[in-house]
Amino acid sequence: MGSCTVALGIIKRISSGTAPYFSLAALLLTLAYFLSAATQDSSKFNDLFLVIFGLGIATLLLLMAILGRSLFRLYRDFKSNQPGSRLTVRLVSLFVLLILVSTTVVYSFSMHFLHRGINSWFDIKVEQALNDSLELSRTAFGIRMRTLLRQTRMMAGLLNELPAQDVGHNLRELSKLSGAIELSLWTMDGQLITSSMESTAIFIPSRPSETIFHQLETQDAYISLDPDQDNLQLRAAVLLPTKQGIRQERFLQVIFPVNDRLSELGKTVQDAYTDYKELSYLRKPLISVFTLTLSLIVLLTLLASIWFAIWISRRIVEPLQALAAGTQSVASGNYDTQLDVSGHDEIGFLVRSFNQMTQRLTHARNATEQSHHLLEQQTNYLTTVLSSLSSGVITIDNKLFLRTANIASSKILHLNLQQRLESTIGRLSIQAPHLLGLTELIEQKTALGESWQQQIELQKKKAQQTLICRGTQLPNDTGWVIIFDDVTTLLQAQRNAAWGEVARRLAHEIKNPLTPIQLSAERLQHKYLPMLPADQSSTLTKLTNTIVQQVEAMKNMVNDFSDYARNPGLQLQIQPIGKLISEVLTLYQSNTSHQFILLKSPQEISLNIDSVRFRQILHNLLKNAIEASEDAHLVVDIIISYHMVIQDNTPWLEISIRDHGPGIPVSMENKLFEPYASNKTKGTGLGLAIVQKIVEEHGGHVWAENLLPTGASIIIRLPMEGATP
Amino acid sequence: MPASVIVKLFGLLALLLFLGSISSVRATTFDISAAHITKIGNGHVLNATINYPLTPRVKEALDNGIPIVFFQEFKLVDLTPLLGEYWQWEDTLWRTKISYELRYHALAQQYVLQDTATGKERFFPSLEGTLHALGQIQNLTLPPEHMVDNNHLLFQLRSGIDLYALPTPMRPGAIISSKWHLTSPWAAAQWH
Repeated sequence: MGSCTVALGIIKRISSGTAPYFSLAALLLTLAYFLSAATQDSSKFNDLFLVIFGLGIATLLLLMAILGRSLFRLYRDFKSNQPGSRLTVRLVSLFVLLILVSTTVVYSFSMHFLHRGINSWFDIKVEQALNDSLELSRTAFGIRMRTLLRQTRMMAGLLNELPAQDVGHNLRELSKLSGAIELSLWTMDGQLITSSMESTAIFIPSRPSETIFHQLETQDAYISLDPDQDNLQLRAAVLLPTKQGIRQERFLQVIFPVNDRLSELGKTVQDAYTDYKELSYLRKPLISVFTLTLSLIVLLTLLASIWFAIWISRRIVEPLQALAAGTQSVASGNYDTQLDVSGHDEIGFLVRSFNQMTQRLTHARNATEQSHHLLEQQTNYLTTVLSSLSSGVITIDNKLFLRTANIASSKILHLNLQQRLESTIGRLSIQAPHLLGLTELIEQKTALGESWQQQIELQKKKAQQTLICRGTQLPNDTGWVIIFDDVTTLLQAQRNAAWGEVARRLAHEIKNPLTPIQLSAERLQHKYLPMLPADQSSTLTKLTNTIVQQVEAMKNMVNDFSDYARNPGLQLQIQPIGKLISEVLTLYQSNTSHQFILLKSPQEISLNIDSVRFRQILHNLLKNAIEASEDAHLVVDIIISYHMVIQDNTPWLEISIRDHGPGIPVSMENKLFEPYASNKTKGTGLGLAIVQKIVEEHGGHVWAENLLPTGASIIIRLPMEGATP
Repeated sequence: MPASVIVKLFGLLALLLFLGSISSVRATTFDISAAHITKIGNGHVLNATINYPLTPRVKEALDNGIPIVFFQEFKLVDLTPLLGEYWQWEDTLWRTKISYELRYHALAQQYVLQDTATGKERFFPSLEGTLHALGQIQNLTLPPEHMVDNNHLLFQLRSGIDLYALPTPMRPGAIISSKWHLTSPWAAAQWH
């Protein structure tokens, strides 16, 4: 597994980049040269043929592996529809086809010429001539051999006749006479008896071969042509007839030289015949080796060419692939795509054009983004300005669709306009009926096509709201901008201020003479009562008492006005609401005929309030409720509750005081909390006005509701932000 | 024509790749029938007889003028027993190789056997006689410096045809052919 990974790694490393292709080309050329050289006999690489051939096979296998990997990658890219893979496959197929056709043609012709070339070395006539020349030579030498054998026999016969002591001397004579190189007399046991050499440098004669001994055992003579290294020699051996006195058989070995010219011719014939025969015998293996070598080189070239074809195809398609990927990237919104310029050809020009295009696209996009950013900044600026305005600002188009609305508009109209953008203002009035007056006004005024301003009263369930609206047409007649201000509080404050001033003046102007009037009445009673008769004294007493009582009543009224006019700063403190209400109720529980029920909140609520003013609220309301029931001769049954409610995502403390009196007359519903608005015989009509004033000073609001079947409820809501439950 | 040659060549390639497995299906090989080491004086000599049964393929090459080189290889091994006779450490003390070239001389109609080291030639009218003479190793002197203690010495010899001496075109075919792989196994000489 590990070796496999290593092998794959090597193949991967070898088959990537450009260097391997040049290395391979160099390797193949070297290999081809060595293979070619090794097939020649004279080459020094001849002995290394098998090694070089093995190297070739190894290279072939390596190349096959690399090519297999390249083809597999190509197939994988093609199957997975990689950009450019189809074009690559087409180019590779074309290249491979061309390579195969050209290589096959060259290979076929090379093989043909190879066979024809080698076969042309051989000719039947030449072969016959060589055979004949060999036969001729053999015949020529045969004649000579027979002559020399006869001569040797004669020499043997002569020697046999000689006495043993004369053999050596006569041997030398015979040697000179016969022209032999060497004469030697041997026993059949291989013992040298005597010898004679032509050359004085040689003392020991050449020993007869075993073949001579064997032949002489069966025959009396032996003759052979010995192919000595330098020259041909004729070797003859003849048995000497046995005679008396000689116990062992003897034989004479004579070596005759061959004429130089004849020897040379014989060697030439021999060499030519042997070479031709060897060559003829090696014809098939030679063809096989050449074919094998040629095939190996062709296969190597073929595989390398295909590999190169794949590489060159990829090189050609690569920029196009990059272009395809680049266009896809641009299509997906990435305008920064820049491609590497691969060359100065048409593809390079295309890539440069693509880069210029993306650069321009990038610049255009940046400019657009900058404009958009500026616009966004301006919009944000405008939105911030609008949101910080206390006035409500909305824009509508000419079809009365709501386009923008600031936060203040939602607050003033008590409707989240941001969630209702793109809806008509008519639809707004359906969702919020209290806006009907406003929407109708807008519809009417915008229809006129002129800027306008108008005050409008919106009737909500709990309170009346006064708005001052202004409408201005937007530039290019694209719609309207409507600005409205909630002036309810302002108007209320103005009214309160006016009433306060009236109350203050009344208190000032009336309170001063009241005390002298009261004192004067009391002095009148004190001074003149004893002086009057009994029947008149009662009248005086009655009249002075009436003056005193009325003055007292007027004093109370003036005090109330004074209270209303007074505007001291609030002394805010965290106060437990339940405890405050309980304390106030305790003061009213002395009257057993009155019933008070306090419904407490599940959790005690503490609020930052002015406890004195808060007690005044409770006193005024309880007093009002008790008086309302008593005036109608109804049982005083008052329920007080307090709890937390959520309104507009804001927590509020809600306190309600419910009585079972006659309820609020319809004529009083809208002006219940206005000063001097009372239907009671007693009181100044400032109680509820003071309540409203204090509640509003605490940031809350108060309203009244009639209950069914009878009774009324005054509801106070105070903001709980910062309160501790 | 080329197609058949290509098929043949691929067959040859396949055979080359499976050379190792082919060697197990060898035909007959050369045979060392006798080998004796005899002490003569202070020295030792080897006498051995080797049979050279040539295959027709070799004979055909010889008859066609291809010289065949025979080698005779000798080695002297010092055996050190590590686990009795089952496991012995072999240390080659001496090794030598003698080569003879055999060729047929058509004009003389003789076989020429030449000692490649000395160049000395011998002539034989028949192949049998030549091979017989080649197979007779007589009084080959062994190195005296290594023959001190022959109790742990093992003398081995073998003989074969040197395929790398064949002409290049014949070499691939001869190497993959069992008809050319005639090398005898190593044979131990007897001590006398």
